[in-house]
Amino acid sequence: MSIDVRPETSPTARIPSGRTRGIGVIMLAIGLFTALVFGVGSGFSAHSSLTFNPVSLANAPWRVGTLTLLTAWSNVVLGLAIIALGLDVLARLPRRGVMARFGVVAVLFFFALLLWAARTTGPSQINFVNLTAVLIGSSALAMVLVFGSLSGVMCERAGVVNIAIEGQFIGGAFVGSMIASTTHNFFLAAFVGALVGGVLGLVLAFLSLRYLSDQIIVGVVLVTMLGSLSSYLNLQVFTPFPQYNTGNLAPNLPIPLLSKIPVIGPVFFDQTGFFYLMIVLVALVSFALFKTRWGLRVRAVGEHPQAAASVGIKVIGVRYANVIMGGAIAGVGGVAFMASQGQFQPGYTSGLGYIALAALIFGRWRPSGAVVASVLFGLSVYLADNLQTYQVPVPTEILGMFPYVITIAVVSGLIGRVRPPAADGLPYKRD
Amino acid sequence: MPESSPRRSIWARVTGQSPFVVTLFALVLGLVFGAIVIVTTTAPVLDAWRGFFTSWGAPGHAIKVTADNVGAAYRIMFTGSVFSPATLWHAITTGQGWSNALTPISETLTYATPLTIASIGVGIAFQTGIFNIGANGQAMMGGIAGAYVGTLIHLPTVLHLPFTLLAGIAGGVLAGSVPGLLKAYTGAHEVIVTLMFNYVVSAILLYTLLSTALQAPGQQNDIARTLDPSAQLAPLFGTASGLRVNYGLVIAAVVVLFAWWFLERSSLGFDFRVTGANPQAARASGINAKAVIILVFAISGGLAGLAGVTELAGFYKTLDGGFLVGNAGIGFTAITVSLLGRNKPIGIVWASLLFAALGVGGRAMQAATGIPLDLATVIQSAVVLFVATPVLVKEIFRLRTSPTTALQLATKGWGS
Repeated sequence: MSIDVRPETSPTARIPSGRTRGIGVIMLAIGLFTALVFGVGSGFSAHSSLTFNPVSLANAPWRVGTLTLLTAWSNVVLGLAIIALGLDVLARLPRRGVMARFGVVAVLFFFALLLWAARTTGPSQINFVNLTAVLIGSSALAMVLVFGSLSGVMCERAGVVNIAIEGQFIGGAFVGSMIASTTHNFFLAAFVGALVGGVLGLVLAFLSLRYLSDQIIVGVVLVTMLGSLSSYLNLQVFTPFPQYNTGNLAPNLPIPLLSKIPVIGPVFFDQTGFFYLMIVLVALVSFALFKTRWGLRVRAVGEHPQAAASVGIKVIGVRYANVIMGGAIAGVGGVAFMASQGQFQPGYTSGLGYIALAALIFGRWRPSGAVVASVLFGLSVYLADNLQTYQVPVPTEILGMFPYVITIAVVSGLIGRVRPPAADGLPYKRD
Repeated sequence: MPESSPRRSIWARVTGQSPFVVTLFALVLGLVFGAIVIVTTTAPVLDAWRGFFTSWGAPGHAIKVTADNVGAAYRIMFTGSVFSPATLWHAITTGQGWSNALTPISETLTYATPLTIASIGVGIAFQTGIFNIGANGQAMMGGIAGAYVGTLIHLPTVLHLPFTLLAGIAGGVLAGSVPGLLKAYTGAHEVIVTLMFNYVVSAILLYTLLSTALQAPGQQNDIARTLDPSAQLAPLFGTASGLRVNYGLVIAAVVVLFAWWFLERSSLGFDFRVTGANPQAARASGINAKAVIILVFAISGGLAGLAGVTELAGFYKTLDGGFLVGNAGIGFTAITVSLLGRNKPIGIVWASLLFAALGVGGRAMQAATGIPLDLATVIQSAVVLFVATPVLVKEIFRLRTSPTTALQLATKGWGS
């Protein structure tokens, strides 16, 4: 047990109203900032254009025209909408859905930021926002985060903190690149990535379940080991044999007809196999966890292992199975990340595994919530990487902090109190 | 397994109960793991094994090639970080080349200096039940703050060096306090917050190097001005000796003594340890949990900051974009060092000497055999995995099991 700095809260206790009020105030501040800086600040003659056609027009039989907006007024409206959401939170102090509202605010804010960055009299030559490209770019990152947070859901719902997701990403990305380069078979690459992730999950489970080692320490040390091992192997294998680590961009598999829908088509139906696999996994894990006997057992093990054991559930067995499956999911996530980058590079996951954990917390340990959170985080990582093309007057390095600062804000509970599974991270001993 | 065969009991009596024995065996296992990694990834070794069945002499040859490669790697690791018998003998018999003979150990001490300081900080946090994984960012912040004072202010040494070091401490305290305050007041889990803060500080480092007065004049790259000589930690044996070990060693010694006194003798240190061992008891006895969290992060961060500025003033002298990045990230090694040293000051001293030797030796190994330096980190993390699982080590080596020697650290859920 750790130092419990807050008063005991019963499972039914919800967000304290003081905190909700704080979130309302933060929303108001964001709204004012949006309306004044991005709105009024951009001058009333500026306008920004939105384009919707994908960069490769092969799959876009129906072109969509450009939408030109007056930057100032659009952003003032967006700011007012955010302010309205904030006022609503302040006035009603809702007990549920505060995080969802904050998510909406974040999306509106990002949208205003993009409009402002692409304004006509702005510093950059680029005067349009390709909404489809933004969504496709962030969907690749969001997909990796969803794999990571699904892995977290599997493990933490059974009461084991899998902080080694980052390590499983690295392991999956490494072997995935090797397999994909040699066989050109992404299915096989994903399978082997899942195997590696599963083995890492097994190591974590073995050390923390059988020997009751500290899960967080084992996880962090596993990440260190995978980081150095992959860097070592990169120098020993990929540097002398670069042909094992190249040209691994997964091909897009457009779904007939659906992929031709403007905007939605390229974003949802013209993706790699990993993307569709992710959607299937989200549905599968959601259903299995909340609608099946198996899911009930897993959640019982994560909430109250003693009670679960007393009705005959094999607590340790369930935890082993879930941590291994979770590791496998994260391993596939690593392959998916590699397949979206085209190759393996040491250190290029740069904390995505931990951001996935934050998405899990933001999503309240639910697959659906994790998806929403991953989309927000994916968008913020994408914007941090790409906003400099608009030459916004913020240094690149400061933009780079963006996703990490948001992660800190999320785990600090600035966006509402969350309740993890009751036995999450606690060792369980049969007696 | 409680049943005891006579053979096992003799073995158990020889090895005793000391946690030191477990650590030693963990080190052996770590080196074995490293050897496996070398064997499975080095082309000549693999080629030799591929020909295992081709002739009668082939198996012997395969084993010999394996032993040669692993042996060479570990031998150079030792001679590159402690001493080389030949050079030392030459120095003793001829009286010449002492500097050459002492360079390896001097390098190890130089590397161990900031590592010890940072690890003490991480260890104090661990003893309080706090996992400060952000030591690297805090050390980086210390380096940044130290670089500002050490390059942009000009003072005589008596003032300049202390101010530079104090700035480093202040930088570390600043970087450590954010997670501390967040944990105390919002319950944010320190692992994620401190880790994310590492990335934030990396961004701050690049920003200060590229866009502020810290950047060396006329420089386009991420390179800062060099510290004034008055802000540098001088070599212990003078510049003429060629040995890089510096007065940072004295700072590290003071920190170790302070940590020992603080944890074992001071009442605040007692509060810290009680909080780490049993938070409920701590609360019941009236210890202010919030204050403890904030203070432990300030102290831990401050020590990490001191480590960073010591690294800068004693070793690098010039801050650049590679400061504490990748293999140089002492803040990450400090976590494993602290775990290996069981979070006790004296244990940490030995552990950081060992890991410094692995790091320095790894560099020598890379230069001589081409085996990447990352192997050192692989071995370090394997050792720590085994140290964190003492029961496994005991089972492997058939040692007597006692539940009390397990690393007792704070496992906890998120947020709540």
